[in-house]
Amino acid sequence: MDLGNFLSALTPLNIALALFGVVAGTVIGSIPGLTATMAVAVLVPITFSMDQASALILLGAIYTGAIYGGAYAAILLNTPGTPSAIATTFDGYPMAKRGDGDLAVALACFASVTGGMIGALALLFLAPPLSQVALAFGPIEYFWLAIFGLSLIASLSSGNLIKGLIGGAFGMILSTVGVAEVSADIRLTFGSQTMIGGFGVVGALIGLYCIPVLIDLVAVPDRHLKVENDMRSVRIGEAARIALRSKFNLIRSSVIGTLVGILPGAGGSVAGLVAYSEARRSAKPDQKFGEGEPDGIMATEAANNATVGGGFIPTLVLGIPGTPPDAVILGALLVQGVRTGPTLFQSNGSIVYTFIYGLIIATILMLPTGLLIGRYAYKSIVKIPKAVLVPSVGFMTIIGTFAIRNSISDVIIMLLLGTFGWVIGRFGFAASPIVLGLILGPIAEQGFVQGWIIGDATGNLLGMFFGRPLSQAIIAFTILSLLYPAFSAWKRSRTEAGR
Amino acid sequence: MLRRTILKSVAAAAIVATTALTANAEITGPVSYIIPFGPGGESDISARLQQPFFKDKFGQELVVSYQPGGGGAVGWATLNGLNGDGQTIMGINLPHIIIQPAQKDVGYTTEGVNAFYMFHFTPDAIVVKADSPYQSLQDLIDDAKANPGAVTMSGSGKASANHLAQIKFDKMAGTTTTYVPFKGTGAAVTALLGGQVKAEWGYTTVGAKQGDAVRMLAVAMEERHPLFPDVPTFKELGFDMVGGAYRGIALPASASAETRQLWSDMIGEINADPEFRQKMLDGGFAMLDVDAAGMEAFMKARVEEYLADAREAGLLQ
Amino acid sequence: MRTVHGNLGSLVLSAFFVFAGIMVLYDTTGYSDSDSKVFPQTVATVLIVFSVIAFVSGLLRPLDEEGFGNGSWWRRFALVVTMLLACFAMPYIGFLAAGAIAFAGGLISAMHDHWTPGKLVLYWGSGAVIMAAFYAVFKFALLVPLP
Repeated sequence: MDLGNFLSALTPLNIALALFGVVAGTVIGSIPGLTATMAVAVLVPITFSMDQASALILLGAIYTGAIYGGAYAAILLNTPGTPSAIATTFDGYPMAKRGDGDLAVALACFASVTGGMIGALALLFLAPPLSQVALAFGPIEYFWLAIFGLSLIASLSSGNLIKGLIGGAFGMILSTVGVAEVSADIRLTFGSQTMIGGFGVVGALIGLYCIPVLIDLVAVPDRHLKVENDMRSVRIGEAARIALRSKFNLIRSSVIGTLVGILPGAGGSVAGLVAYSEARRSAKPDQKFGEGEPDGIMATEAANNATVGGGFIPTLVLGIPGTPPDAVILGALLVQGVRTGPTLFQSNGSIVYTFIYGLIIATILMLPTGLLIGRYAYKSIVKIPKAVLVPSVGFMTIIGTFAIRNSISDVIIMLLLGTFGWVIGRFGFAASPIVLGLILGPIAEQGFVQGWIIGDATGNLLGMFFGRPLSQAIIAFTILSLLYPAFSAWKRSRTEAGR
Repeated sequence: MLRRTILKSVAAAAIVATTALTANAEITGPVSYIIPFGPGGESDISARLQQPFFKDKFGQELVVSYQPGGGGAVGWATLNGLNGDGQTIMGINLPHIIIQPAQKDVGYTTEGVNAFYMFHFTPDAIVVKADSPYQSLQDLIDDAKANPGAVTMSGSGKASANHLAQIKFDKMAGTTTTYVPFKGTGAAVTALLGGQVKAEWGYTTVGAKQGDAVRMLAVAMEERHPLFPDVPTFKELGFDMVGGAYRGIALPASASAETRQLWSDMIGEINADPEFRQKMLDGGFAMLDVDAAGMEAFMKARVEEYLADAREAGLLQ
Repeated sequence: MRTVHGNLGSLVLSAFFVFAGIMVLYDTTGYSDSDSKVFPQTVATVLIVFSVIAFVSGLLRPLDEEGFGNGSWWRRFALVVTMLLACFAMPYIGFLAAGAIAFAGGLISAMHDHWTPGKLVLYWGSGAVIMAAFYAVFKFALLVPLP
């Protein structure tokens, strides 16, 4: 942790690599269908011929850039570029629609840099103790974490709770299609071989979020996003002020992101959703989440970038990858001859610290590059005529979905699911509860089944599900976030009555 | 009987033909190496280890991509539809490609998979945490006999190598343990390290990766793994268990015999490289050399073995 | 008129979700492993219960804010159908040609202005550039085996 490692991270080559990685990652992340996992996987062979630390810096920079890039498509096209940016759409797209897209992109950048820094600092200073979080989380904790995430449906579908719950249940049903992960059955394929792989999360995201937007866009001649008259004004200052005002939200969301990132079974999408849920719970009465509230974007983006540093904690300390891109990087490390695991920080300390410093440098570089690319992305999305924007995005959804696992049937499933999503969306069934069910369903199912088996074997089912302190804490938070909207509504009505 | 004789003579003729025509096939560009799982597993790691050696020896890039879904079934179901010009290969795993088609219609058959090389296997092993009270396999057996069902053991998935091993061992030792399926070896190890389960049915790779954090009680190999000279084999302890998860590579069925032979030779050459062998052994893998010519016999034996195990375990109707 | 239309849609969808739940329950009877049954059965039951509630409340309290709204139907159809068509044609005509079909469909259905020669050249030209660029990046930089 000495200065020498920091200086060795600061070589011109490493800085150039970090810069290249952040830019490439941001671009890749902004394209729906191209995930951080894929970007990192493609680049692994290039790193074989490099020095270990430089290779790691490049991979880490791409990863962190890609997680940030996911926000662009979420804000400007209502389509999360990566699953981590799901909750960014909730407030980002409404902001863009009302003409605040540039502000939203800048806010996402500040939040991502904050989250990335806090995650990286946790990795630098607290990695060994924090890695225990990954181990403390057993099947039951994952089950309750999924339930906590699902409780967000209640607040996402205000006014139409029943339809939100139907969507969530339907999403969970969709998640079970195909070969079961932890049992030995093939479910709900109805004899069709194309369904054996099930509904991929990335493809479903593209379908459920992007296709309805496209269908709505072509139907009417209005502009895609509302444009303010003075396009020249840079709203970085305004964004900085908002970010500074919400520093508590940023820090809390970054801490949530770091902690959830450490959990190998969760990942950036869950981190974003949990942080969003918490930001919403602690909102002031005048904040309208879901209608373009800056705090919603910042919570998600801070949390998902914090998972980068957080995810490296179990990867490096325990040899257990926190997220899929971590798994790719872990593989690259093994080929390079670096043994991860309990002894890594001692045996290969200098490489590890150079890598962490590289990650910090990449995160800092994300601020200028992110603001620059973000502004450019916003302007081009606004300026492109609708007649070119729609087919370009449509083409992107096809090629992006195809690239996930080189399958045409995935693209067809994506399109059909998207059209279905559009139809039901017209009748009050929103896409987000379905997506939540799809992502959290497998976590809930596996946690439940494993917890049940273990509880049954030890003859203590009740204690297994409700007796563990960590579980109790998550249950308490779930109840709190479910009751809080009702409580605050009650409080508001009382103050109004008093006035 | 007659059919088998014909098959055999055809196979023999094919082998003669391939050796004569080997010179005709060649690799002309980057090769797409599809892993039908997500990153980070044993299949991925071993493919990544092959990557630099392939580039070194044959001058072409080996591009690893992931196509997860259906426990590998999605990838294998598409395999024979891919171009058989030798520029696309896919990782294959046993017992997956034997058990899956036997259970349900998954879009491919075991015989339809054009395997050309099995290059390593990860021997089954029982792993416990370093601070576990189980010092030896006998400790675990005693506990499982005294408290039937109370010994929980994590493993990767159901109807998998881990699960079959658990069932087989329970039968041999006369114990009752509880198998807890997890999504992949990584999650099963996490559960072990976190104390959620008492032991894990894993592979020797777990011991290599986790080092001092875990202790292996026994490995399912003929002889002790060179990386773990102190860990006994099941055989030494009186249980006739040798096996694990075998991994290899397949081509689309449309690939010519020459292409198949060329690939078999290339992977064989990488497998023979001492540096590659050392890296694999350091990772806890056990080497295996079943080339294109020996594949039929190897697969036939494995099919019999795994199907018998699975049927006994009640995983097949 | 629109009220009835919107409410009818809600009822039809609620009925569909009830049906979907029943299909799931039926499917679970064929599973050999009880661990694969418990989750889908629970969720399907939840789905059926809530869908029935939604159906009944839709009958009792029709909401008026739902429906397909205004907008051009042929454009929506053209967009989705050409994209699907492109997917089905892709294995035979290759990725670029199929992409061009989808792109053309999207362009025509999203074009609300009048065509002028300038726009004609510009839009189709930029479309060709965008597709070529994406194709090149995916095929050669990211090594995706596009057909």
